[in-house]
Amino acid sequence: MSQNTLAAHPPAAARTAAPVFKPRRKTGTFVFNALVFLLYLFLLAPLLIVVVISFASNQYLSFPPEGFTLDWYAALPGQETFMSGLRISLITASAVTVLVLILGVPAALALARFRFKGKAAIQAFFLSPLMIPSIVLALGLVLLFGPLKLNNTYAGIIIGHIAVTFPFVVRTTLMSLATTDTSCEEAARILGGDSWTVFRRITLPLIRPGVIAGGVIAFIVSFDEAVISLFVAESGLPTLPVQVLRYVENSADAAVAALSVLLILFSMAVVVIVERVMGLRKAL
Amino acid sequence: MNNPKLSIVDLTKRYAPGLDPAVDCLSMSVEEGHLVALLGPSGCGKTTTLRMVAGLMDPTSGSIMVDGKDITQTPVHKRGMGMVFQSYALFPHMDVAQNVAFGLQMRKVGSKEQNRRVVEALDLVKLGHLAGRQVKELSGGQQQRIAIARALVVEPTLLLLDEPLSNLDAKLRENMRTEIRSIQQRTGATTLFVTHDQDEALDMADRIAVMNGGIIEQYGAPAEVYERPQTHFVADFIGQANFFASAVVADDGAAADGERSYVVDVDGFGRFGAVGAAGLAGSTHEIVVRPHRLKTSLQQPAGPFIEGVIERVSYTGDSLSLGLRAGGKELLSQMPTASSGIPRLGQTAYLSWDPADAFIIPGTAGIPHGTERPATADALAAQDVA
Repeated sequence: MSQNTLAAHPPAAARTAAPVFKPRRKTGTFVFNALVFLLYLFLLAPLLIVVVISFASNQYLSFPPEGFTLDWYAALPGQETFMSGLRISLITASAVTVLVLILGVPAALALARFRFKGKAAIQAFFLSPLMIPSIVLALGLVLLFGPLKLNNTYAGIIIGHIAVTFPFVVRTTLMSLATTDTSCEEAARILGGDSWTVFRRITLPLIRPGVIAGGVIAFIVSFDEAVISLFVAESGLPTLPVQVLRYVENSADAAVAALSVLLILFSMAVVVIVERVMGLRKAL
Repeated sequence: MNNPKLSIVDLTKRYAPGLDPAVDCLSMSVEEGHLVALLGPSGCGKTTTLRMVAGLMDPTSGSIMVDGKDITQTPVHKRGMGMVFQSYALFPHMDVAQNVAFGLQMRKVGSKEQNRRVVEALDLVKLGHLAGRQVKELSGGQQQRIAIARALVVEPTLLLLDEPLSNLDAKLRENMRTEIRSIQQRTGATTLFVTHDQDEALDMADRIAVMNGGIIEQYGAPAEVYERPQTHFVADFIGQANFFASAVVADDGAAADGERSYVVDVDGFGRFGAVGAAGLAGSTHEIVVRPHRLKTSLQQPAGPFIEGVIERVSYTGDSLSLGLRAGGKELLSQMPTASSGIPRLGQTAYLSWDPADAFIIPGTAGIPHGTERPATADALAAQDVA
């Protein structure tokens, strides 16, 4: 009998204890969610305002909206400056992505897999553009490109953008390399693979997430870059960000807002597609 | 060994000038079809040696020869070796069959032939049904076998195994030992096997090279290395051992296998019999007696004995391990269990041995056993001559 009461006791206690904890956890979750919501609101507010304004019938860039219209979107294809800017930006960003991967991946490979003199210094040098203000870099490039006749050329912008995006590619590739087992490469070499075959069939597939992440970041950074493009090629080859800057200087309607919304969607699409297809998150 | 498959001559690896070499002037040869274990504690140079044979590492000096041909300068991918890594190093982005086929593709084997040999290799490791699986779906033991199949499918000149069992759990490890040994014997692949596990080496190898500090302390068949250790390190590293500093007093005639019987004066315990190589009389050496060769009894035996107090008893069912203290020395002994008369702590036990079970370690000459020991040995030797 006494055994029975003992056995029955703990579950009863647990039952009474459970409702005491539940509401407290609920309040905690609510406060946490509210804080997260506010944080996101704060971060995304500028974007949201741009989205709202792009549909507003206000004559000038202003808030709050006075009515709904799709005119700003409809007008975009007719804006020759935007369309040519977009073309220049896409060409630049594509070329930069390809070239920076061709340069950056082997550089990262050398840093990760070989031992040589001055390795630490070279690594610091490769990553240094992240720490230099891009306006300083841009000024230097203009002065350097003058005598080389590279100002206002694709070559000039692309070189400038490679300098800015190179550290990203080296970084993401190094991260992937650090997590791959070098014995896979050794096994492939022992099985008869020469250096190039081993790189192509083993190393590259293994570090693919890092390479893709680096490529995506390089594309977006180059596509978005304004300072170097402005300094190096404002008059000759104005990229989309340069055209947007110019447009805002001269006129104040919401066409820029509509363009911005499309660019946001474009960037999101790139990231989402790459994530879905290749698993970007693994590398970041 | 008139026609060694692999010979290593004066192989040296120094990672940086000024550092002690990781592998120091190492020479050995391996007979065709043999499985040779490189056995030693971590940092003894065994893996470095294996990696130099594989070509993954350049030796500082010395040469490596396979089938009489110097391959020291041959790049890794042209050596035609097969290697199984500690981590297995299967290619995670390929399925099982693609992993196994990789080496064949590198050799430009036709696709029909490839398929046939992949199936054959997978059957050899009894995993034919897993050909289409992804690598990460496999258990550790399966990955291990795939790694072996991948190494063997190319019919390598040498099969190199780098601690292949250390990532498996104890039960699986036992099975894989037998499995690897049987695959190796069926294929006849000359194999170099790195391990720090002496049981593994004794169980699997045709020859064991016991390594320490970048050199081979002893190279021989498992029984030889265990029963006739040439140095203190070998005796100590392989199996359990009792060491006694002893003065070899007199030659007592021929023993089996061309060895000599000796009378030895064991430091502090009196005169016993032991065996050893010829010409040891008059010198000071260590003798080694394995715990299970120490005859332990609770009654005084007829011949010479060592009296000790039982300090530790460990009962494992089929054997009984004893730790004894005798004259300030800790000794280990092992005896078969009986249904009655189990020794108790604090009891006095008497240890003795057959002369054939005590081996005079030749490599320990001149080791200072005690401050006055060499002098005493000399005196004893002089007495005997007189």
